[in-house]
Amino acid sequence: MSSYGVRVARNQGGIGRGYQTFSVELEDRMTVLDALFAVQRDHDPSFTFRCACRVGMCGTCAVSINGIPRLACRTRASSLGAPEIVVAPLPNLPVLKDVAVSMEPFFEQWKRVTPGFRPKHPESKELAIVPASSQYMRMTGGKRDCITCGACFGACGVKATSGEYLGPAAINRALLRLADPRDEAVAPRMKALDSERAGVWRCHTQFNCTAVCPKGISLTDSIVWLKRAMLRRAPFEKLP
Amino acid sequence: MIRLTGMYAHTLQRVTGLGLLLYLFLHVRTIHKLSEGPQAFDEALAFFRHPLFKLGEIALLAAVILHALNGIRITLLDLGHAHGRQASLFWRLTVGAGAVLFLAGAIPMFLFAILKVR
Ligand code: SF4
Ligand code: FES
Repeated sequence: MSSYGVRVARNQGGIGRGYQTFSVELEDRMTVLDALFAVQRDHDPSFTFRCACRVGMCGTCAVSINGIPRLACRTRASSLGAPEIVVAPLPNLPVLKDVAVSMEPFFEQWKRVTPGFRPKHPESKELAIVPASSQYMRMTGGKRDCITCGACFGACGVKATSGEYLGPAAINRALLRLADPRDEAVAPRMKALDSERAGVWRCHTQFNCTAVCPKGISLTDSIVWLKRAMLRRAPFEKLP
Repeated sequence: MIRLTGMYAHTLQRVTGLGLLLYLFLHVRTIHKLSEGPQAFDEALAFFRHPLFKLGEIALLAAVILHALNGIRITLLDLGHAHGRQASLFWRLTVGAGAVLFLAGAIPMFLFAILKVR
């Protein structure tokens, strides 16, 4: 058992009320999410945070931990190497209460890239098989695991200064759909991605998104790949 | 500011870029004095003989080296290379190689300035 000072941001009705520190005992394998539960259970039942799966699958528990956006359920307190754990809401998103944010701006941008599958042949009853050896599967390997946690959105320095920017996760999603040989919605996605104020050109290659993604997705790589594809107008030749 | 390598690189590129812009402005302004005759030019140059500007010159060298090397790093990344090694590229190429180049230039500049002042 080790003793930690858990310093949590307090916020009520959109008004910041500073930080409060609680002393919490944690075992070696315990996570920051366990620390947040301990605060709520032992100190203040009104303390608010979000979580669901507790195993790094749902993306609900992303918060800023010691200044870096991470999943609370996947961050062991001992791995931080500090006696104090500072937990704040994810940046670039409106705070609902304490460290819980509204994901609405994230999903607003997500919707703008036509994130759903738009089949080329909607009436077809045949199974459209994409072999593991196909170019799509090879190119998108390691980019398909997004759990929409918003950590990249919170870490992005461009997002901090531009409400309009799509953000890394939505751009990566657009890339996945564009590269999918079964999908046909090229033009609306390219229009969103090519937007001067909101699209890929806003990215300044800061790598914050890539550094914080709990799924190890190379988001900056997706963004610069799209920039180059746009300059070549390929391989999305169907673009008007 | 989020304390991650890529963000340090981004900030460094902006700060050195602004510094170089300021230098460029001063440089063009001084050279422009030539059009007003040799005396005006000499007067403008005399302003830069202050030891503080010697240090400024050394700082200029640092800014040029860091901006150029990080520029190479960004170009490589924009071309899709070395994405998994962007942080090590920053520390080794921009900072490491940059420090070596800087010392190679700054030490003679500093010694020369001292000898000349004496
Ligand atoms: S790309 Fe990574 S950091 Fe961004 S929302 Fe998806 S899982 Fe989270
Ligand atoms: S609670 Fe689901 S990812 Fe952390």
